[in-house]
Amino acid sequence: MLAVLASVKTRDVFWHFVPWLKVVWYVLAVGSVFVFAYGVARPLVKHRRGKGGPWPPVPWRELPGRLAGGLRLLLSHRTIGRRSHAVGWAHRGIFYGWIVLFAGTVVLGFETDFTDPVFGWKYFHGNFYLGYKEALNVFGTALVAGVLVMMVRRALHPPRLDYDRPDRAPDDPQFDRRTYRVGDWVFVGTLLVIALTGFVLEGVRIAMSTPGYGGTQFGGWIIAQALTGVSAPVLAGLRHGLWWFHGLLAIVFVAAIPYTKAAHMLTSYVSLSLRDPLAGKRLRAIPPERASEPAGYGTLADFSPLHLLHLDACTKCGRCHVACPANATGRPLSPRDVVLELREQSNNAFSSVGIGGVLGALVDGQADGGGFKTSVIGEDGVRTETVWSCMQCNACVEACPVGIEQAPIINQLRRRLVEEGELDPNLQSTLQVIHKSGNSFGENKRRRGRWAKELDFEIPDARKQPVDVLWFVGDYASFDPRSQQISQGLARLLHQAGVDFGILYDGERNSGNDVRRVGEEGLFETLAEQNIDTLSGCEFDRIITTDPHSLNTLRNEYPALGGSWRVAHHTTLLLELLREGKLEPARALGHRVTYHDPCHLGRFNGEYDNPRRILELLGCTLVEMPRNRDNSFCCGAGGGRIWIPDKPGQERPSENRIHEAVSLPDIQYFVVACPKDVTMYEDAIKTSGNADHIELRELTELVAEALVPAGEPVGAGG
Amino acid sequence: MSGVLVVAEARRGELRDVSLELISAALSVKDQAGGRVAVAVIDQQPDRFVDQLAVDGVDEVLLVPTPTEHFEAHVAGRALTELIAAESPSLVLLGFTIDSLGFAPAVAAKQGLGFASDAISLGWDGGPIVARGAYGDKLVSELEFPGKETTVVLLRAGGFEPAQAGGAAPATRTVELSLDGVAKTEHLGFQEAESADVDITKSEFLLSIGRGVEDKDNIPRFEELAEKLGATLSSSRPLVDAGWMPSARQVGQSGKTVKPRVYLALGISGAVQHLAGMRTAETIIAVNTDPEAPIFGVATYGAVADMFELADELEQQF
Amino acid sequence: MKIVVPVKQVAALDDEFELLDDGSGVDPDFLEFDLNEWDAFSLEVALQLREASDDGSEVVAVTVGDEESEEALLSCLAKGADRAVRVSDDDLATDDPLTVARVLAAAVERESADLVLCGVQSSDAVNGATGVALAGYLDLPHVAVVKALEHENGSVVVDRELEGGLVERLRIGLPALLTIQTGINQPRYANLRAIKQAREKPLDVVEAGELGLDQDALAAAAGSRRRGLSPPDRGEGAEMMSGGVDEMAARIAEIVRERMSG
Repeated sequence: MLAVLASVKTRDVFWHFVPWLKVVWYVLAVGSVFVFAYGVARPLVKHRRGKGGPWPPVPWRELPGRLAGGLRLLLSHRTIGRRSHAVGWAHRGIFYGWIVLFAGTVVLGFETDFTDPVFGWKYFHGNFYLGYKEALNVFGTALVAGVLVMMVRRALHPPRLDYDRPDRAPDDPQFDRRTYRVGDWVFVGTLLVIALTGFVLEGVRIAMSTPGYGGTQFGGWIIAQALTGVSAPVLAGLRHGLWWFHGLLAIVFVAAIPYTKAAHMLTSYVSLSLRDPLAGKRLRAIPPERASEPAGYGTLADFSPLHLLHLDACTKCGRCHVACPANATGRPLSPRDVVLELREQSNNAFSSVGIGGVLGALVDGQADGGGFKTSVIGEDGVRTETVWSCMQCNACVEACPVGIEQAPIINQLRRRLVEEGELDPNLQSTLQVIHKSGNSFGENKRRRGRWAKELDFEIPDARKQPVDVLWFVGDYASFDPRSQQISQGLARLLHQAGVDFGILYDGERNSGNDVRRVGEEGLFETLAEQNIDTLSGCEFDRIITTDPHSLNTLRNEYPALGGSWRVAHHTTLLLELLREGKLEPARALGHRVTYHDPCHLGRFNGEYDNPRRILELLGCTLVEMPRNRDNSFCCGAGGGRIWIPDKPGQERPSENRIHEAVSLPDIQYFVVACPKDVTMYEDAIKTSGNADHIELRELTELVAEALVPAGEPVGAGG
Repeated sequence: MSGVLVVAEARRGELRDVSLELISAALSVKDQAGGRVAVAVIDQQPDRFVDQLAVDGVDEVLLVPTPTEHFEAHVAGRALTELIAAESPSLVLLGFTIDSLGFAPAVAAKQGLGFASDAISLGWDGGPIVARGAYGDKLVSELEFPGKETTVVLLRAGGFEPAQAGGAAPATRTVELSLDGVAKTEHLGFQEAESADVDITKSEFLLSIGRGVEDKDNIPRFEELAEKLGATLSSSRPLVDAGWMPSARQVGQSGKTVKPRVYLALGISGAVQHLAGMRTAETIIAVNTDPEAPIFGVATYGAVADMFELADELEQQF
Repeated sequence: MKIVVPVKQVAALDDEFELLDDGSGVDPDFLEFDLNEWDAFSLEVALQLREASDDGSEVVAVTVGDEESEEALLSCLAKGADRAVRVSDDDLATDDPLTVARVLAAAVERESADLVLCGVQSSDAVNGATGVALAGYLDLPHVAVVKALEHENGSVVVDRELEGGLVERLRIGLPALLTIQTGINQPRYANLRAIKQAREKPLDVVEAGELGLDQDALAAAAGSRRRGLSPPDRGEGAEMMSGGVDEMAARIAEIVRERMSG
């Protein structure tokens, strides 16, 4: 029965159209494709005005694999659903709804414009048509549902969709990004109207013909029921009107894709495909061909084409805005606003380039930089205090669903500021001190190994004898009095466990991780070269570091400078020793603790579990803070911020974090695994008035405590 | 070649205190130096200070009138050169002051004299010997001047008790020198220290802050603390250089020399130039995170602590 | 305008140091070297004057010292000095200001500078005399301890910083020598890339002998001779407080009350 019915079921695309109207339609449709194509070509030309890197950013032969990988990410929506399931599903609805409806139109157009006129073959009837209608109904509904979810979210006005700029005062005309809010509403509104008019059109069609199969097109059918009793001429007029309205809107929408928020359909995919897995973890060296130019980004022409693409890929979703510790503590920085500011600048700078310019550039290669030569940093651009507010904690890069490199872009801006001497005087003197003495404390280098002199055994000098484990101690663990105690504790544990380990004494230099993140690339290179030189002269199996910052740069950045070694964090080694029974807890500690993931250990190097397993082996109960693992909250020390004084009265990220910890019930210890965290949080516990509520412990201290049988004093042993 | 010539220092019609310290120093080596101490006053009206220089043991006051109203380095330099030629002293004493620094080294260089700057003590061993700091006062270097008939020494203020004036009126002699046209600079005016609303030299209790405050925005916090403690806020040079504190509140060699009952120094490491301005305070309490900070060398009491934490706690105490 | 900036590589002594066995000096292992703080300001004045003028001004940094002291010159070149000159003589007694001024005079004379800008003093020797002694040798008009400066054709108006915050404003014609006080400006940062690139800039090394200064001439110029070096008599030093910050604060409050009431 259905088959018989289906055999006659189809619809007339150009129902009651006079020929000239058809012509008008085709002219508009083709025009829309041209406008679209031009809109795609423009950014291709624009991005290549960036001279700061290669295009494409990966070798040609890797491109297919990258694009396939990007497609997998896109289809799975993994990056979008990651921090918000609701948004993930809503976006899936819109994405797949849009794809299927668009594909449906193409399928229909393929018959009308190609198979029918050329081969006389029509497939748009019968079961195919019914299945088609079903699919479009389902996905159209998903689209509408997704759009409605997004609209509700916007109506609820969450902070991340509020485009007020933290880097501008409220009375600044640039403070309020109202146009973005309007743009968002127009975008979701247009999608909704296109989808809904599709349904209404279908309903009118059904109402006019009242075909028996109406019941299966539930969307249209519902509307058809509502139109019962409306006279035929009215319906016909409505059908014509709606057809044009729906059609024109769709045509305009397609044409507008590259010029509006919808552009992310294209740019985000490319950005995701070209995503650098080490973004922010391994900052890029200055390309040799640019060695004689000023370092970093001062103008848009200095940007790499990939970073210019990133500016266009931003969907303004605000996840980086929410994740950013600077923004969360009232500093004048939102990674999103940096990206949007730069995007606006690049669009303005390119606005004078017309069709001729674009076509010419596509044919001849690149025209000159033009507006790309003006400074991007300044009162009206990205402000210096914004650039210096960043902690380079990579929370933004981690949160970004489309693979934008906010932190590395900010790092490039810093490189230029350092080159121009636009840096905080305190930071300036710290950098000078590091250059002169090799450490940020300005201590004589001979004092680096002094903490080890207070032990009752001697730590071998790894430069003079081969060792299994070379311990790269780091500045804080070597010079800060509190961290020195922890270093001594760790040394005792390693000694007790029979580990063959040594240190570099006065041969070690600041690892350069934070110096690089400050933007002092030349000093980073110098420090790295000195360390690599020293390490190359030593015999060892692997390196351990106490400092996650050192871990990161030794593991991820030294290889490019010729220093490739196995590098582990001390928590990894401690876990091994506990598991192998070389360290045996004498008791279960039974503490209720929370653990703070250091940015450079967790987010940068994916090491979330080892410290947690140690806590488990020690018999501690771990209560997680809401922001944990890859969403861990920076202590405020990163990116050289530890060397720049905070404004008084301003909440520090470390204090914000301690508030988070003490809001958990009955936590005894705030456990960390980074010497900078020790300094930052010991301070924050005091300054936030929580000294009576929570205490800080470095993981090593808990291990030492557990080795001592209950009742005996800790720290007296070995 | 014998005797000591002291060059007194005056500014805007007033004799500066360092002049009397120089006389004390000169008298301490008078006998070894040949038994004669003369004091030269190089000024537009040099005779106006004669009473103040009536110190027992001063043999003669040399009055050198200048055509310039205020100190002028080149005029002072020419006058000193000619005085040395005429008087042939074996030792010339000047203060380690801004004015002296402006001409004495040039005279010593050009005339091939013995020379020592910022001397902290003076002795005699066949000729003058002086002690002065080395490596930022971490060491003391002892200098001699072999083969020099005349030696110019700039003496750091605060090392000698000022001589007491009020003795018999000294013999005076006016030395007319041709100093017209010697000046190379044109005096355009004086400018008092900005916001000299407070005279830190008059305060009995100074709360003094240094580099440790880290940021301009931290200053108000210590202004409040000073008010609560009933102290006057002063500072070391770097904060003035940075524009965070008015120069009227600067303690030290280039700022004010203070002698309060209590000097509470927070986050001041104690550069030589700073110590020069406060070491004569009755009680010095120093707070610094660096246990090696030189200020602990002159302080009465020391605390190794973070100045912010200490400020918080101190606030509770008052 | 040609501006010559004499600079010094100063030595900072570590808190724990050892003297050479003969007491003549400090074991160099315990010294850390850096561009003299005051010279960073005088160089900055020179660079700003050059940047403000459009007559192709030149800034030349000059130092006296061994090869190590080229670090100071590299830092000047990195910040923007056009070229540098080092007068090398390893036997020079560089802690005597007159000797240094004599050598500098020979080097600076060849440059016929319009303006010579020195730091007021060096952080290690604190003589405050080298610049003005140099002016003496060169017969240049001079002003010491300048905390502000403005260039008007052919002359400069300077603020001379006197004790107690008093300032005297003067005009002095060019050529002249000024010694520059800290705080006059914000010296720029010499980044490491620039320091590396500065090695490409011209840096002349001349022997004191080539400038017509033999050992006798230098010995005659010396203003003093060091008899010995010894640790200072520090007195008793401070009575150090112990305990927590709260206890220290309480003790300080007690001392203050006692002394202020007495």
